[in-house]
This record gives sequence, structure tokens and C-alpha cells, in this order.
Amino acid sequence: MKDDRNIYSPIKARLTDVIEESPSIKTFVMVPENKFSFKTGQFIELSVDGIGEAPFTPSSSPLITEKLEVTVMKTGYVTEYMHMLKPGVYMGIRGPYGRGYPVESFFGKEVLILGGGCGLAPIRSLLYALESIKDKLVKVILCYGSKSPSDCIYKPLFDRLNRTEKFEAYRTVDKADEDWDGSVGVATTLLNKIKINIENSVAVVCGPPVMMKFGTIRLLEMGYKDDQIYLSMEKNMSCGLGKCGHCMMGEFFVCRDGPVFTYNEIKHNPEIWK
Amino acid sequence: MQYNCIKKEEWDKTLEHLLLSYTIFASVENEFGIDYELIRSEDIAKITYNKPKPSTPLKSFFLPVKENVSSMKAEEKPRIIIGIPNCDIEGLCLPDDIYLDKEFSDLFYSKRRENTLLIASDCFGIQEHCHCLSYNVKPYSEKHADLAVINLDGTIVLRILSVKGEEFVRKIPAFTSQVDKNLIAVIEKEHLATETLLTKSNKGLPDYKKTGDLTTSAKGDIWEKYSARCVSCGACTTICPTCTCFLLIDKPGFEKVKQMDACQYPGFERVAGGEDALYELHNRFRNRYMCKYVWKPGKFSSLACTGCGRCIEACIGKINKNEIFMELENSH
Repeated sequence: MKDDRNIYSPIKARLTDVIEESPSIKTFVMVPENKFSFKTGQFIELSVDGIGEAPFTPSSSPLITEKLEVTVMKTGYVTEYMHMLKPGVYMGIRGPYGRGYPVESFFGKEVLILGGGCGLAPIRSLLYALESIKDKLVKVILCYGSKSPSDCIYKPLFDRLNRTEKFEAYRTVDKADEDWDGSVGVATTLLNKIKINIENSVAVVCGPPVMMKFGTIRLLEMGYKDDQIYLSMEKNMSCGLGKCGHCMMGEFFVCRDGPVFTYNEIKHNPEIWK
Repeated sequence: MQYNCIKKEEWDKTLEHLLLSYTIFASVENEFGIDYELIRSEDIAKITYNKPKPSTPLKSFFLPVKENVSSMKAEEKPRIIIGIPNCDIEGLCLPDDIYLDKEFSDLFYSKRRENTLLIASDCFGIQEHCHCLSYNVKPYSEKHADLAVINLDGTIVLRILSVKGEEFVRKIPAFTSQVDKNLIAVIEKEHLATETLLTKSNKGLPDYKKTGDLTTSAKGDIWEKYSARCVSCGACTTICPTCTCFLLIDKPGFEKVKQMDACQYPGFERVAGGEDALYELHNRFRNRYMCKYVWKPGKFSSLACTGCGRCIEACIGKINKNEIFMELENSH
């Protein structure tokens, strides 16, 4: 199927497992037929045969190349079909595309990660990458908010991180249920709880657009400089190659120039929070 | 500039001979206006020279409205396109930047580009909405095409613009590089006359850079006012030589179909979950101008509007973009 010279042609990947993370979120475990690797924060175009294609940032470790995990919220036409898939079928992969997180520039620093909703999927991949280089980092703090306790994905991840040297993980929910005894409030409220040396840190924000906006505003209030804040932008992307024009955000193609940008790179663009 | 010439009868015979190994398209004037037509030997005499632009933009030869991009087709016969106005030659530079970039080169586009000889045409005279010169695009090609053709009373003059063009001419013995200086003087006089017409016809129209500044600083009400007549048909983007946005559509067997798309269509930026930054018509309308005069110039060195004026001609709501910029300029 794959002609190496044809940029539009996907490679096949066999779906080996489907993990139900929440009522509306599933993780798809795939084994690509061809060698496949990515840098954390890069994305792939994942297709359901004959149905459609959509961009996702893998949620698995970039260090593992024999399989790939993508966590998908059922929210549109393609993802509805994806949620009906059973292990054994083949999916199509194009990529990896775009500019991921520049983890080498995090060396010697504290890393604050602010995440919301399904934004934890790309963050999990980043956390795996950061765990592998933790000797070179001062510490990593994850602040994550979900709508409700049942919407929180990767629950075991938080305990594991809190047992990992140099890692701290905090959770909050917008709306608690009767079993929840943790924080209540949006993700940014967790920022009041943490201790961090802002001068020697970087902040990574990934989540729904509204959270990205208010998360960035809160980080700036805390004293973060524009170039210390990394944003993972979301747009409609069709080709992923900087050609189709769907993801234009001002003069940037989000698929090609991003999806990870520093706030400094895009702050003058009034289109970014749209 | 290097010129060659050939008698018109010899040129027509040469084209007839070239039809054996090339597919030739050329601009032809008919009862509907000027457009590119597939040339058979009996059509050679109908080819129109020195006239401003065919209705169809040049991009259509390289970016079909819809094509299956799953696998390459067998090699196509090489093509010659004759009669391309410079607005289209310059208009192809942006698609080249986008589709031939080093990291992700589009094989379908690049094969067609390699396979095609571009013979530009000097415009002697203008059409109603031509405004190339306002954006510093001359009404005749001096680069980016392979050759430029001029028909002067029974003599065909070719200006050589590329190595590919030079090699093409060298293979045809009937060409001579001994070109009468008087012919060159006539061509230069016609250039000047056309430029004078363009200047007169577009008096007061801001240049490309100024248009970008005006677009950036324009208030929302101007977009609402002019978009009130827009029906989101996408004619302006379809007919534009530099608009090349597309959508990839999935077909069974992991096949992909690439279909031209437009930011003027509702849903162009809609994401899963329903959010749509360009939901409102006036935002979509503004998007096109921001893309052409602000964003693409910020990203690429090529022009995203070459002043061909086709979008003005094609608009069924009779929206004239130059009226918008004149209004912005005058209220500034």
C-alpha cells in the first residue's frame, strides 16, 4: 500500500488491543507493518479504512517502536467509527508529522505540565519521554483536570508518577461525585498547590482550547515568560503536510510549524484562541 | 533577454509536428471569451496570441479538482501550454512553494510540472479587472516560465526564460536567434502601452504590501458589509491562480482522493466536536483576504495574489475586492 515517494499514502497498522479508558475514551494499540517511530508531541494521521482520517498525538512512549498507542475520544464522525473497531482489523497511519516537544531544551529544569480532558493523551507520551531522561531534569509536576472522576483517563498513571523519583502528579475534577475526595475546580486551581522555581522551569499546556487559554493566562500571572510556555495547538488538519490549508493559524500551518509552539511564537496572532 | 524568432507558418508547422510527441494546450478566443483548449492539428491556426488571460487559471493543469492520489498513473505524454499570462506564471510560484517543498514533495504535482513546458504570452492590452502591475507583476514574463511567445505580423518571437526553454528551441532548426531589432522595439513599445493602460485603469489601488496592512487593520464592519453579498460558492478561490487548499477523502482500501477545497465553504475549519473558527460568513470572507495579503506573504516569498482579477469576474454577488481596498485606502 505504501509508496515511499507518495506523501498521501498511509502504512497499515494492525489493531491488537482496544482499552476502554472512560465511557467516551478508548486507547487503540497498534502494530505498524513498517518500522515506525515518532518524537513526543508529534502527531499522526490515523485512518479508518474507507471512512476517514483524523490527527492524533500518540499516547505511548516514543521509545517503543514496535507498537503504537493512540487514545481517542468519541467526538465526531471518524472517532465514532473508530470506537466500533475490534482488535484484528487494520488501520492506516501517515506520519509522524509536525514539531513535537523540544525535550532536550528541558534539561536542568523543572517541568510543569498543565493538562485537561483528553489532553492527557499526548501528555502521557511526554511523561514517558521525560521519565527516560529524569536524571537530566530537576523535577516534573503534572496538574491535570477532568470534568468528572469517571472522565479521568489513565488513573493508575497518577499513583505510579507519585511513586517515581522527581515526579509529582495532582488531579482535580470540575464536578465531584460521591466517591471523590480530591480537589474540585478547574485544572488551573492546582497551580496554587505546587512549589516550583518558575525562573528555572518550563510549562507545557495541553487540553481543550478554553483550558489552554486560561491556563496560559494563569501561567503568565504566576511569572512565566512567554518563551517558557509550550502550547500544543489543535486545528482541523486534513493532510498534515503543510499543504491543504485547513490548519492555518495566521501565518503558521499548525501541522507543520507546530503543533507545539511556545506562547512567544504565536502570542501576536489573534487567531490562536479561536 | 535572449530572443529567437520563426515565421508564423513555420511555427504552425512546428506545432503540428510537436503534436506527435506532445499534448498541446493553448489559449483560444471563442464566442465565450479566451480559454485554454486542447489543440489538434486543425486548431493550430485558432491559437490566440498577445491577448490577456484565459478564463481558467494555470493551476488547473497541475491541481485537478479531484484525483485519486493512492498510486501514480502511467507516464503521461509531455505537455506544452501556450499563451499563459504572467499573472498565472507568477501565480504558479506559490503552489510550487507549497507542493514542491523539499521535505514533502507532492509526486503528482511534481511529475506534471516536470512534464510540462510553459510558454507564456505577453499581454498587449488589458481586460476590465486586470491589475497585475499594482502588485508589481508585469504584463509579460521575464522569469518562471520556459519561454514567452509574441506574434508580430507573421513572425513569432520567442523570449527564452529557462534552460528547459532554451533546450526546446535548440531542437527546432527553423528558429533563428537573429531577431530584427525593430521587432524588439515594437514589443517594448507594446509593453509600455499595456503598463500605461494598467496604471490608468487602477489609479489609487494600493500596492500588495499596503493591501496587507489595510487588511490587517480593517475593522469588522467592512467584512460584514462586503460579505453580505457572498453566498460561499467558492468561485473566487476556485478561479484563483494561487488558492490550492484541498481535502483528503478516504475510500475503501486505504485509498485517498484529493479534492480541491476552499476556506469560503462552511465547515472548512470545523473540528470534531463542532467548534468552527470560521463559522460566521464574514470571518470566512475575511480569512481569504488575510490569507492572500497577510499570512501567505508572511510565510512564503511568492505572491498569493497576482492581480489577475478573475475573482472579481467570477463573483456572482458582484463583490469587487478592489472596491474594498479602495474604500479602506480612502478611509485610512
